[in-house]
This record gives sequence, structure tokens and C-alpha cells, in this order.
Amino acid sequence: MKPVSIPAWYECDERFMAAHHQPALLIDLLRAMDISSHHILRGTGLFLEDVLAGEKQISQQQFAQLIRNACKLSRDPGLSFRWGAQLWPGHYGAFSHLLANAANLEDALETLVQYRHQLCPLLSPRLVQDDRYCYVQWLDVAGLGPQEYRFVVEAMTAGLISLARWLGKQKFPWRCIFSYPAPEYLEQYQVNLGQADGFGIGVDALMIERVWLRQTWSGGTQVAARIAQRECQQLSLACADHSFLELVYRILQRHVRNPLALSEVAEQLGMSSATFKRKLRKHNRQFQGMQDQVRFHTSVYLIHINGWNNEQIAEYLTFSDSNNFRRAFKRWAGITPSDSRSMVLL
Amino acid sequence: MMFTTLELHRQKLVLIFGLAIAGLVANWLMGEPKNLSDIDWLDVIGEGGTAMALAVWMVLILGSRPAGRVTDLLTLGLGFLFLAMWQDSLDEFIRIPAEQVWDQWLESAAMPFGIGLLTYGLVHWHREQLAINRQLQKRERVFREHRLIDPLTQVGQAGYLQQQLVELLHGQETPSHNDQPVALIMADVDRFGDFNRRYGHREGDRLLVELLELLMLNLREEDLICRYAADRFAIVLPNTDLQKARQLAQELQRAVSAFAYKHKHSGESLYQCLSTGAASATGASAEQLIQAANQALEQGRMPASWTSESRI
Repeated sequence: MKPVSIPAWYECDERFMAAHHQPALLIDLLRAMDISSHHILRGTGLFLEDVLAGEKQISQQQFAQLIRNACKLSRDPGLSFRWGAQLWPGHYGAFSHLLANAANLEDALETLVQYRHQLCPLLSPRLVQDDRYCYVQWLDVAGLGPQEYRFVVEAMTAGLISLARWLGKQKFPWRCIFSYPAPEYLEQYQVNLGQADGFGIGVDALMIERVWLRQTWSGGTQVAARIAQRECQQLSLACADHSFLELVYRILQRHVRNPLALSEVAEQLGMSSATFKRKLRKHNRQFQGMQDQVRFHTSVYLIHINGWNNEQIAEYLTFSDSNNFRRAFKRWAGITPSDSRSMVLL
Repeated sequence: MMFTTLELHRQKLVLIFGLAIAGLVANWLMGEPKNLSDIDWLDVIGEGGTAMALAVWMVLILGSRPAGRVTDLLTLGLGFLFLAMWQDSLDEFIRIPAEQVWDQWLESAAMPFGIGLLTYGLVHWHREQLAINRQLQKRERVFREHRLIDPLTQVGQAGYLQQQLVELLHGQETPSHNDQPVALIMADVDRFGDFNRRYGHREGDRLLVELLELLMLNLREEDLICRYAADRFAIVLPNTDLQKARQLAQELQRAVSAFAYKHKHSGESLYQCLSTGAASATGASAEQLIQAANQALEQGRMPASWTSESRI
């Protein structure tokens, strides 16, 4: 049990990530390209000495600024993938030990989800399984801009593929879909990720057939994993379970069939509507935008995974009729549900 | 980068800008300032702007070139042109008494002298460039675009490859070339990701640069190599059929597996394997050819345990 005094969430300006972990890996890649640390760290409030000293904690906002700088300074579209491939297991103490001793893919995925505040602090992985596939969906929990978001999605996707390959000692038949339109540098996706199965789908996710989840990985040992697990639990005691945006997403997701009003969500979070709006603005989000995103993600799932038709989805999401759903979907995605259906074949 | 080469040319810069300042002082001492109403501002903008542009060109050239004769000639040529324009624009503000002729000399003599030096320099620069082109032959063909060059390996990126293939495939409208196929090899290093994890990304980068040199040594004069993405290289083979391309790909594989890369610090020998895929086309588009070569590469290395339905 967690102590009662721990708040239910952390926000984007809370300093809880070690600067010498994932940020340092990115800084090192940029410095290897002869970019000065002064430029790399501009606007982040960090100094290279702090990072190297290994005691500095930074916030999601500072991390996002570092990534913004990286996008601007580097002409290499492969940078995000290279950074991603180094992220896990990483050198983050007990968290990395736990990951490196994962018994199988499912174990590794669950570790990533459970200790996401340390292992993937900008995008939270969400695991969904149906009878055939396991899906890992990335959710922005830091309020990133579109450019940084794409960079981090590329990195996390490359990271997961690379982790499974490293620990599982073989290639896995992942399939990846992306929310944004196909970028110019598709070759990077092709070579670094194996293949990209669709762009402009509305969600960013990897999927893999469930048969791959439980295949034993020989590298780790159970004892080491158990010790690391206990240490991770200790280290996470003082940390809130969710980021603010993640919590809002979950509440909206729970009520996706009958959308809540802003004031109702604020009430559930125990704050006034004005405070709630201010906090959303701090995370570069708007209430309606998040509400739409949750309903959009749900309809993408229902279309592609469940194979539902427009009438079924309209009824599930309590639209008055399928035409209204079609119009709403077009507004969210820029394409109609039938266009979306034709884009990937699962 | 820019400032490290500027350091080599300090003397030339001091000379030119020293002369410019001396000119300013001489004008100041020997002439008298014009009234504001007498100044022709259009001339000031035109001549002053030209002088500034010449100074910028000079600094850009110095900042981008190693020391040497061609650099000296280009800089001095532009430098004298700059001095002439500089004196020209000072004239607009300061009237020199008519009995003094040195300013006229500076204006009229510096200009042709500068043009002469610049022209002579350009001729030598042209010869130098031909020599460099010969060195670059396997890295670039016909067309240069620095934005498409990979900063690590200094060869073209995927965008450059695309352009070159389009040129080769669609440039051959003439019937005599039509039956000559273009082949493409895609080659990538096996388990390069593991190499990076084990030895670090700096070591991985070094390996790629050295492998690229090795691959180039094994290519023919007219072949072109590009870095497609990450550890995948693309090799364009003009006038080559599939059989010949496969043979060349095998030669590359053999060369790489015999290459003992030395770790930078430990000196340990690290051997690599190369996977290749070749495709050849006469009527296909650039995208189709790239896709076919990539497919050939992937098929050669796909694990047998993957069922056909797990990849569509």
C-alpha cells in the first residue's frame, strides 16, 4: 500500500526523472555529431556538468525541450531510432535489472507498464489483448508538441523492437501503426523497425501475435528479477501512480460510452473546473480535444480490431445515428471510417 | 567547423581589413565630409552593399577551404574587389581634393587587379575540382546536392539515391541505352544493433565509416554507393544485369567477412557479416527497384519460424 500523503498524479513540471538516464543518452548521441552541449541544452535549464554529475532530476517539460532541441539541431532522421534502440534495458539501476531479467516478452511489457514513470516517462504504454493479438499503444502523458511526439513514438517503437530482439535473441514479427501521416524518411522506418504497416491510422501502436508473449527468454534469472522487483517497488513508493494527463485519459476512457462534462471530470479529480482547465492548459491540452481523442481511439479499436460497422459503433458510443458517427470520425481523423478500414488489413 | 578553417587564414584577413581601415583613415584625414544633402543614397546603398557582399563572400570562401594557392588567389581577388568598392562608397561621404589622385588609383586599379586574380584563381579552382571529382566518383554521380549527403559517411542519403535512380531509369529514353538494365544492391550489416549495444554508438559509427570505404574499394568506376538508412547501404550499378549484380554482391559479402575491424581502444578484431539483396530493372520505376532490392534482402534473412500469415 502507498502512503496516503502521495498525490494521485504528477504533473509535467515535477522533477522526477534522472537527467543522466534517458536524457543523457540523447545528449551523448548529439555530442557525437559535433553539436555543442550549449545548443543541445538551450532552454532546458540544465548544464552538462549537472547531467554528468548524475544527481540532477528533471521534469517532463525539460525533457520535452531537450527533444525539441534535438529535432532542430540534428539533420539525421535516424536519430530518434538510434536513441530508442539504446533506451532499454538501459542503465537505470533496479529498473534496468528487472527489465534485463524478464522471463519473456509479456514480462518485459508488464515491467515497462508498471515502472513507466522511470522507463518510458514521456509516452505511457497501454497493453490491450484480444484472443489473437497483443497491442502496445503509446499515449502522450507529457503534453508534447507534434514534432517531439513523433520523435518519441519513433524512439519507443524502435526501443521495444530492439529490446525484444536483444533479450529474446531473435527477430519478432511486430507490426506497427502510426497516428500521423507517412513522413518523408520512410526508409528509416523500413530499416530500423522492419516495416511500418500504416500511417494516419489515428493511434500509435505495436502489435504482435500472442503466441510470442510467453516464449521463454534464456538470458535472465528469476532470483535476480525478484530482487530487482522488490527494489523497484521501494524506489516507486514515493511516486504517484499516474501522470496528470494519463489519469484524465483513464477517467474519460471509463466513461467513453456516455461522455462526461468538464465539471464532472474536475469533480472526480477533486478540483474546481477552473483549476482543471488551467492544469490542462499547462499540459498543452484542451478538454474537448482529449474527449475527442479518447472516443477516436476507441472507434479505431472497434473498427480495426473488432471489425464493427458504423451502426454498431454509433450505438456503442451513443451517437444518434451512424451518419453522425461518420461525420464525427471524419472530423477527428480527416478520413471516413471506410477509408480507415481500407488502410490496414489485420 | 567554419571557425577552425578561418584560423588558417588570419594573415590574409588582417591584410585586407587592415587596408580597408587604412583607407577609411586616409579619407578622413585628407578629405572633407560632404553635406548630408549632397550624398547620393542610392549610390551608397548600391556600392556599400556590393562591398559588404564581397566581404561576406571572402569570409565564406576562407571559412570553407583549406589553406593553399587556390584559396589565396580567390581571397586576394575578392579582397581587392572589396577594397575598390569600399573606396567607391567612401567617396560618397568624403570629398577628396582634386589634386590628390591616390583615391582614383585605388578605385580604378584595384578593381581590374582583383578581377584578374579572381579569374586566375577560378581557373585553378576548376582544375582542383576536377581532381576532387575523380576522388568522389563512387560517392556522387553528375549531380551534387549537399542537403542529401549523410553527415556521418559523406555519401548520399536515400533521397539522393532516389534522384539518381530516377535519372538513370528515365534518362535512358534513347533506344540504344534502353536494353541496358540498371541493378541495385541493398546491403546491411548483420546484427548491427547488437554491435551498437555491445560496443557503443561511437564504435558503431566508426565501423560504418570503415565498412563504407571497404565496400567502395570493391566497386567499379561507374557504380555509386549511398547510405540508405542506419546500417543499410544501397549500391547503384548502371548497365548491369541481375546475374552480374548478384556476383558483385557476393564479392562484397566476401570482402566484409574477411575484414578484421579493430576496436578503437582495445584493438580487438571484430568480424562482421553482410547480408545483400539484388534487383535489376529496365522498365521499372525507382521506387519499384528500391522495393525489390529491399525485399530480396529481407527474404534472404527472414527467420524460418515466421509463418507466412504473420507477415502480409
